[in-house]
Amino acid sequence: MMFALTVARRYLLSNPAQTALLIAGVALGVTAFVFITALIEGLAIRLTADVTANSSHVSLEQEVRVARVLPGPAVNVQSVALVSTFQRRQIRAWGPTVALLRSQPLVSAISPQISGNAFLVKGEAVAPLAVTAIEPSALDAISPITTKLIGGDADLGADGLLIGAQLADNLGLSPGQPVLFRTDRGVDRLLTVRGIFRTGLLNLDERVAFLSIRTARPLFRLPEGMTNIEVKLHDPGQARAFAAFLRDATGLRVTSWQERNTTLEGALFAQAQTGTLIQIFSLISVLIGIASALSLSANRRRGEIGIMGAFGVSRRFIAAVFVLQGLLIGMVGAGIGCLTGFALCSWLATLTKADGSMILPIAASQGRYLTVFALTTLGAVLASVIPARSAARLDPLEAIQQ
Amino acid sequence: MSIVLDARGIGMSFRNGDELTEVLKGVDVTLQSGELAALLGASGSGKSTLLSIIGLLLRPTTGSITIAGQRVDALSETDRARFRNQRLGFIFQFHHLLPDFTATENVAFPAAAPAGRMTSAMRQRARDLLDRVGLADRMDFPATRLSGGQKQRVAIARALMNNPALILADEPTGSLDRLAADKVLDLMKEVNRDDKATFLICTHDESIAARCARRIMVKDGRAEQVRTQQQLELRG
Repeated sequence: MMFALTVARRYLLSNPAQTALLIAGVALGVTAFVFITALIEGLAIRLTADVTANSSHVSLEQEVRVARVLPGPAVNVQSVALVSTFQRRQIRAWGPTVALLRSQPLVSAISPQISGNAFLVKGEAVAPLAVTAIEPSALDAISPITTKLIGGDADLGADGLLIGAQLADNLGLSPGQPVLFRTDRGVDRLLTVRGIFRTGLLNLDERVAFLSIRTARPLFRLPEGMTNIEVKLHDPGQARAFAAFLRDATGLRVTSWQERNTTLEGALFAQAQTGTLIQIFSLISVLIGIASALSLSANRRRGEIGIMGAFGVSRRFIAAVFVLQGLLIGMVGAGIGCLTGFALCSWLATLTKADGSMILPIAASQGRYLTVFALTTLGAVLASVIPARSAARLDPLEAIQQ
Repeated sequence: MSIVLDARGIGMSFRNGDELTEVLKGVDVTLQSGELAALLGASGSGKSTLLSIIGLLLRPTTGSITIAGQRVDALSETDRARFRNQRLGFIFQFHHLLPDFTATENVAFPAAAPAGRMTSAMRQRARDLLDRVGLADRMDFPATRLSGGQKQRVAIARALMNNPALILADEPTGSLDRLAADKVLDLMKEVNRDDKATFLICTHDESIAARCARRIMVKDGRAEQVRTQQQLELRG
């Protein structure tokens, strides 16, 4: 094998320009693979981060109550379980659920909440609100609101309210101002705007308000339970599996962030599939290049191969010479391609827009370097099998006479 | 002297569509150890085909071949290749040296490839053979930098690398000028005389055949022994 490697190396070095071009072609294909992979992964990471940064990864709430038919073979008439669908949907035993969540190493933050709808009324102006009542100490547990305050502070106190910048603009509110708060339970109360935040998302900045649970309970007529429990995980990717676990463990309705964003998930999937196709085509073009170059080489060296055959050099040796050429081209090309791909992605990651965000959401570390190196090397070996077989099967006499 | 080659009833026919062409019709060839024989014949007479059959590069339609005491006509392809490597040497009209290797590496190639590596002993033997064929000063030259005559000398050294029982040469001087051709033939005669190497040289050149101790004429698919002037004189 060592001598076959020597012959393969000599063959490659005998025409340095052609070998360099061949390796450059492989490296270019691998660079394209790395770039596409890093870009798609980076885009997925950014989209996922954008979606999950200001919301929970898993939500727990009470199942919707529905009347259901009771089974019973001895009963001729259909019986209906009398389940009140008029009761509030709330998690009454939220304490044990929170305790269960605290014991899970996957969980990074827990926020029991009371969510409801309300209106802010100022004079003739009325603005609808989606209200989130939380423990003041866990204000930033799910969404980092404090860092997004542009006015006032985050001290919710007994009558404090945090509203978005757009809502404040619409109603002409500023920190310290009282405003009439009217819940969908028909309770009115004057609250004080303590702080104003800007997330950059219009939906949040125009529609969402925060207050403390203690303040919210009488306003939403919910003296003990919670409407929902929001959970953040260390790894958002685990959300779907963790939601399934919680569903079994608690009997609650548990929704992962992926289930809440099926459109995004579908887009990410389509994007990944497109990326995979591009990767496959770039690899195929690399392999075709290697196979055709080695076939040409085998054809050009018919005389030499014929003389080797005449001397009784085994077909296996002749095949090995060409397979090893493929291996060397694949390894060197893939190695260079991985390095240039990493360099290109790292450089692109440094390019930023005026606001400091990346021009291309590229993740240089996600280039799947080992995978592409292994695939290219293996593919190069497979691509060299056809020319290797044709060289090994060459009839020595025919080759010498030509 | 022992018999190195004993080919009996060699027949070879090719089918071209419906037409069957019989190139060789039961040829018998026997060579003693240390002989230098010429295989003569006009173009298309079948002499190259006979040489290829003896060299195990072509399977005969009929007949048997024994080389160095071993029956070889029924060997598998792998065994034929192994036999060629270990017991036969080849010199072709076009030397077919490996252009990316030095003269020494080209000579050592038939030994190094089956072994999987080129040992220092192989390298030394190759150098000795190059010295033997008068190329001591060209040992480390790339094959591409050698003249036509020098390349054919390297090819002779390469043919001798594995101590073959029989060396087959197909028009070995066909691509050389007269002076270079004479030198190559002198070298082959010298190796034949000093090393007792057995040569079968296929040629259409009467002047080359005349310098061989024995001539075998292939004509109309049959072989006939032709005495050389030297042999005729010896027989009185």
